[in-house]
Amino acid sequence: MLTKFQSKLQKLQWLKTLLLSLVLLTPFTTSAAEELMQFKDAQQQALYRELTAELRCPKCQNQNIADSNAVVAVDMREKTYQLVQQGQNKEQVIDFMKQRYGDFVHYQPPVQWSTIWLWLAPLLLVAGLFFVMLQKQRKAQSDAGEQGAGKIMAADQELEQQLQALINQAMLNQTNQTSQTNQTKHQSAREPD
Amino acid sequence: MRKFLFFIPFVLFIALAAFLFSGLFSDPRQHGSALVSKTLPAFELPDLMAPTTLYNAEKLKGKVYLLNVWGLWCPTCNAELGFLTELRKQGIDIVGLYYVQPQDSAFGESFDLTKLQQDVVKKLQEQGDPYRLNILDEKRSLIFDLGVTGAPETFLIDAKGQIRAHHVGDINPQNWPALGAQYQALLEEAAEHKPTAEAATTAGAAYAN
Repeated sequence: MLTKFQSKLQKLQWLKTLLLSLVLLTPFTTSAAEELMQFKDAQQQALYRELTAELRCPKCQNQNIADSNAVVAVDMREKTYQLVQQGQNKEQVIDFMKQRYGDFVHYQPPVQWSTIWLWLAPLLLVAGLFFVMLQKQRKAQSDAGEQGAGKIMAADQELEQQLQALINQAMLNQTNQTSQTNQTKHQSAREPD
Repeated sequence: MRKFLFFIPFVLFIALAAFLFSGLFSDPRQHGSALVSKTLPAFELPDLMAPTTLYNAEKLKGKVYLLNVWGLWCPTCNAELGFLTELRKQGIDIVGLYYVQPQDSAFGESFDLTKLQQDVVKKLQEQGDPYRLNILDEKRSLIFDLGVTGAPETFLIDAKGQIRAHHVGDINPQNWPALGAQYQALLEEAAEHKPTAEAATTAGAAYAN
């Protein structure tokens, strides 16, 4: 079974080579695409990269504009490039896009009444879980306490009972002994007869 | 108290299920528009058929109309032409905003206005012409400023040049009643703002019809 699998794997050697070459080639292709854009300095280039990674393509379901080739994403990249070259900062570019495509266009949602749950919900969840855990722990402790007290009481009672039984036994023995001695006395008294 | 606590997970589950269930029927393309209740952005663009005629936001002001973003390359837009033509016959004012796709010069593509004009005329003769006029947006500048993500998209613009609705996707007999009602309400609103009582009554009659 295993050898069969291994031979199959060996047949797929070409796939391995293909994947490896793809992986190796990717960095070269991206750098080739970016070389077409001229930036004043590395800082502007970094800002452009950051922006195209953070801005979301409004036509696509979940892609940033760097990743998408939809016409609107291409236009947005072009506009981002122009604005960055004009010396606009990150916030200005994002505001420019938001004015046209809404909050949807930025992957970081703004803090608003409608979006506050994105931050509150996890906090509430953690707080709730903490509360439940605390409650459970408290209950377990008090339960253990109650049980302990109950055990002591039960043990007390048992000891009391044992003691009582011992006393009873002792008392019974005593009465038996006295009655026996009385009997022997009686017999000895009667012996001379 | 103990019973109440017992039901909390159940209530949470029901709330989550209801939230996810409602998500099944939501349209992921509809994510609100940043343009609604803003005025039409400034632009200066030529007429598709007569490029020497230039339009701007000021020139289009004064009437309630639909601004329909379309292109010959877009199949849904072509499918929509027939219904829009019907609407025009009912008196709905529609202005076309022609969406030119980017041309890739590496593939020998270039923008040819005469060819485009011929194709548009042919298409509109076949399918019906719903447009009072067509604005050509070759560089997609107004289209970008309007936050258009594709075609077809339609904007409802009031007499003051303010955008009142942004519809993504085609207009069809199923979704027109809602947009149409909004259109009629704007007509009424525009009539109210007109000083003459006569204009108001005629608009009112048109709405009643």
